[in-house]
Amino acid sequence: MMHALPFRPILSTLIAIAAFFTCARFCVSQDGDSNRKHPTDTSTAASPIGPTITGVITYEADPKRRWRYSRYYVNAKGQGELAEAVVALRGSGLKGLDAHREAAVSVIDQQDFRFVPETIAVRAGDRVKFTNNDPGTHNVFSNTPLHSFDVTLAFGDEVEETFPRAGGTSRPIVLGCRLHGNMQAWIYVFDHPYFALTTKDGRFRFEGVPPGNYRLEVVHPAGSLRSSRKIVLQSDKDQKFNVSLSPDDRRTR
Amino acid sequence: MTDSTVTRRDVLKGGSAAAIALISQMSFPDFVFPDEAADEELVPFLNMPRSRPNLLDWETLDSWLTPQDQVFNVAHYNEPEIDPESYQLEIAGMVERPRTFALDDIKALPEQDQLMTLECSGNGASKGFIGGIYNSRWTGTPLAPILKECGIQPGAKEVVFFGVDQQEEAVRKVTVEVPFGRSMSVEDAMGLNTLLAYQRNGESIEQRNGAPLRLIVPGWYGIANVKWLRRIEVRNRRYMGRFMGRDYVTLRGERQGDEVVFVESSVSRMNLKSIVARVTREPTVNGRVPLKAYGAVWGDGTEIDRVEVRLDDGSWQPAKLDDEPQAKFCWRFFSIDLGTVEPGEHTVVSRATDASGRVQPTAEDDEIALKKTYWEAYQQWPREIEVEA
Repeated sequence: MMHALPFRPILSTLIAIAAFFTCARFCVSQDGDSNRKHPTDTSTAASPIGPTITGVITYEADPKRRWRYSRYYVNAKGQGELAEAVVALRGSGLKGLDAHREAAVSVIDQQDFRFVPETIAVRAGDRVKFTNNDPGTHNVFSNTPLHSFDVTLAFGDEVEETFPRAGGTSRPIVLGCRLHGNMQAWIYVFDHPYFALTTKDGRFRFEGVPPGNYRLEVVHPAGSLRSSRKIVLQSDKDQKFNVSLSPDDRRTR
Repeated sequence: MTDSTVTRRDVLKGGSAAAIALISQMSFPDFVFPDEAADEELVPFLNMPRSRPNLLDWETLDSWLTPQDQVFNVAHYNEPEIDPESYQLEIAGMVERPRTFALDDIKALPEQDQLMTLECSGNGASKGFIGGIYNSRWTGTPLAPILKECGIQPGAKEVVFFGVDQQEEAVRKVTVEVPFGRSMSVEDAMGLNTLLAYQRNGESIEQRNGAPLRLIVPGWYGIANVKWLRRIEVRNRRYMGRFMGRDYVTLRGERQGDEVVFVESSVSRMNLKSIVARVTREPTVNGRVPLKAYGAVWGDGTEIDRVEVRLDDGSWQPAKLDDEPQAKFCWRFFSIDLGTVEPGEHTVVSRATDASGRVQPTAEDDEIALKKTYWEAYQQWPREIEVEA
């Protein structure tokens, strides 16, 4: 819950929000293959007012509870930095911030029998263009109650889908291909700007965050990992929150 | 690695039963390949897309019987969810005594296990689809006694297997609703140890893999192993459904004298194939890096004679084939010490030879180069690696 604000801070907040509407940009990743350029961080653009929140997401492996695919996401030669984790704030007062921004378009391609990128995070109202550059027919479908659709794409076909409803970190759009059961992808939809997809260095960054009490949530769909913690953001203090995940954070759903 | 009274000779003589007994007596380490040291580190393959669930992850291959989360599934029509309580299988067509079986009726028939490595015939068509293969202990009842009991009539030529899955198909200028179907000769249906399977590795078959009942044809590609079985029909004419006559049809040029004649044939038996599953390294010694390679070889049940591995432009070196576990229609694992290499990029490739003398071809050999369709991609598969100092 956000604290009640007296008059002068309210004015400062309104100025900050106005500045945010004019300055905020949204950058969406295009490629998640470990052998290619990694998704760019989807942090919000700089705002002169409001603290900046940064942090690093890491993964601590346990040889007795092996994550078969960790080699694609975890920097085992570093500190265990975790790539392609979705990090987001959750709290009252965030919904609808920057609601009038121009909708962005992300692209999810089908290549080599996989969705590329595998995980994206977008704003409610954004569109996703699905393309098929595999020399064969694929299908993109989601049975998620939040947004269901089903379209078959031949080589070279493309289709755009709008995602108007936000499910946050707990209700992603789960994509599959009806023809090839191994294909999987996730779309996380948010109704505020404070979310990010970590890159190889595990970093995330939110700028111009309204002060208040929130939960900092981290999910990694490919690893079935989920973590949530309470944080308190003060009005004039940049803060850093590192989160270390482990097999203890595995969730079946 | 093993402590078993079932010997390799028992396995080869006894087939599935002996192999199953062997497996039950073994305790598998994390990696079944022998001689893999604790400090061996994976050298990831270059230019390969990620592996993911529901596909075999070669680089972490660690089980002779494939766990369910590593099992692929391909569907061409819908994926029906069938209520086992109301399920029925029809045996019909040119039989003296047509029958309809409930699932419990099938399970009441003599139970048999069949060990088999099942590969999708599209496996290897793309570098994103080379994990379309898995090894299983299928449990069910053999088909031949059922067909014999139903009494195949004189003049019968083929047995057609229809699935519950169906959809509209455009056949020339006509659009009709058709069930998925595949067929084989009566001789093959009776003689190939075909099984009506309801369990995989001791568990009920999952919906995506054909629950509650699917056909298992040892040594034949996945397309022949019809899922969601609905009807087995004996016919006196060749069945020419889409997946016999139009798709899963290999178009290949064959040299006949001075000519290349292009011939189409329906996908059936699995081809001899091997692949390097992973390459590992150990710490650098005197500027060179020790490497080992591990892999798998399989085919249509013909005994494997040898697997050889080549590093870069070097000569073919014999790999060590695992003696156990082993079963006629199942893959065998192999391993090889590649010695030491200089840091940098290298290529590792395996080549299999079976007891009939058949050799796994390269992509440049006629057998593959003159193949104009993507099914049956059994060529040697070079692996590219970069070894750091």
